[in-house]
Amino acid sequence: MLLNVRDLDVRYGRVHAVKAMSLNLAAGEVVAVLGANGAGKSSLLRALLGIERIAGGRVEFDGKDVTSWPASRRVKEGLVLVPEGRRAINALTVEENLLMGAYNRRLTSAVKKEVDEVYDRFPNLAARRKSRAVVLSGGEQQMLAIGRGLLAAPKLMMLDEPSLGLSPRLSEEVFVAIGELSREKNITILLVEQNTHRALEIAGRAYVVELGRVVAVGSPETLMSDGTMLEAYLGQGKATSAMSKRLKVAS
Amino acid sequence: MIGQQIINGVTLGSVYAMVAVALTLSIGVLNFLNFSIPGLFMIGGMALWALLDAGIPWPLAVVGALVIAVAASLMVERFTWRWLRGAPHFVPLVSSMAFLLLFEHIAIAYWGSDMRVVPEAFSGGDWRIAGLVIGIPQLMGLLCSIALVAGLSWLLASTRTGRALRTIAEDPDTALLLGVDINRVVSVVFIVAGLFTALAGILFAINYRQVHPFMGEAVGLKGISAMIIGGMGNIWGSIVGGLIIGTTEVFAISYFGADFVDLAVFGLLLAILILRPTGLFRGMQPVRFGI
Ligand SMILES: Nc1ncnc2c1ncn2[C@@H]1O[C@H](COP(=O)(O)OP(=O)(O)OP(=O)(O)O)[C@@H](O)[C@H]1O
Ligand SMILES: [Mg+2]
Repeated sequence: MLLNVRDLDVRYGRVHAVKAMSLNLAAGEVVAVLGANGAGKSSLLRALLGIERIAGGRVEFDGKDVTSWPASRRVKEGLVLVPEGRRAINALTVEENLLMGAYNRRLTSAVKKEVDEVYDRFPNLAARRKSRAVVLSGGEQQMLAIGRGLLAAPKLMMLDEPSLGLSPRLSEEVFVAIGELSREKNITILLVEQNTHRALEIAGRAYVVELGRVVAVGSPETLMSDGTMLEAYLGQGKATSAMSKRLKVAS
Repeated sequence: MIGQQIINGVTLGSVYAMVAVALTLSIGVLNFLNFSIPGLFMIGGMALWALLDAGIPWPLAVVGALVIAVAASLMVERFTWRWLRGAPHFVPLVSSMAFLLLFEHIAIAYWGSDMRVVPEAFSGGDWRIAGLVIGIPQLMGLLCSIALVAGLSWLLASTRTGRALRTIAEDPDTALLLGVDINRVVSVVFIVAGLFTALAGILFAINYRQVHPFMGEAVGLKGISAMIIGGMGNIWGSIVGGLIIGTTEVFAISYFGADFVDLAVFGLLLAILILRPTGLFRGMQPVRFGI
């Protein structure tokens, strides 16, 4: 197991955003996390990275108990987050943003070659390498966020809603890129997405979360075949818990 | 005569400029108006005097004063910035003010509240060019401050630490998720602030040869004015602001007398603020508001 999470809790004061979530990922897997707004998806990823305080539970990454590690140490270990909203640094150039991805690595010629690889993968970035990131379009910012994540040399890349706010064509580019990273670079992927159908196309497994709890886990086929799944994902179904029991039995 | 006044103005102005750079770096990266800076200025000057008084040779005394001030600055970091992160933003400001008082009263306790005279640094070392007198300490001070500021802007523009500082300035949360150890990088800001301010205090002590526990307050006010004139968060702007204030002060003394100095300086500040509320320069440097 590359990632093993047991009974993870995250609280913001009285808000209990993540409730005893357990999940695991084997190396090389692509796993999706689906859930309505406010379900606790971002809180989960941020807690896994160590930038949100873990109120309870245990996180094991690559065989090490990282629960009490600071984020910087987890990033060094290859646990990387491409955050919600992309978060390019506007005052930095495109290239400087990429170098921030490699913050904890020595800038060897190997790293410089990886920067060039990112430019090969995303030619739009190459054309703007010396421009401030503020001039990038939404799609280009997402490319930059993924490129920056790649430069951290991830073993596990967590992506938080990478297609949010992108045109269908650009979202498609992002999904294709994620698929390639998994296949070509053998990076394990934990993908939070609103675009359920597209996420389930590239994922081997998915977790469905609702109100801070994992309510279902299974292969895309199992989840898709159950008509009430989408309803639950959208947070409208009242029959959620009954459905989730069935799904658990199925998986 | 005017030439000599410009030289004297630049000498005084470079002291203000260094204080302003320390203040502006702290504002630009941390959005923190660090009121302990006038105290660090005083520590630079008084520690120099105390070490010389104890018979320690000049170069060692200068290094010693810098080390003491940087250590004091890191203590401020530990107990204002690091401790109070997440508190409302005025809390670090108020506690840094408490550090100013603390430093001043520690100085009084150790060295008394009297004015102390610093021995002459380079006797007979003045340069006379075309009737102008340029003191060696004046020249050295100017060169030091130019070199330090050039070094600082190189650090910010072209190094890993500089990129991290600019990232923290814009978005500390993202800095954290990229694996930046914020505490470690932020201490660089305090080291630089301590170094610049203490060097300004040392230059002041060498040039004007008087130190006392409250020497930082007037200079701190002028430094804040210089920072505002130059545009907050803008390093080269602070230099320009410091030089403007220094020369204004020197000219005001010789034309209107010492009583009108503050009127001239703060009148100028007010006029510039009315014409350009954000200061003379803006966005020239990548350092911007953050946190
Ligand atoms: N910093 C915070 N302080 C207080 N409450 C928070 C904070 N961040 C998130 N929450 C709350 O925690 C819950 C989970 O939020 P989270 O952002 O993890 O959801 P999400 O599944 O990522 O939603 P979305 O799909 O909208 O991004 C929500 O109720 C949210 O209001
Ligand atoms: Mg979210």
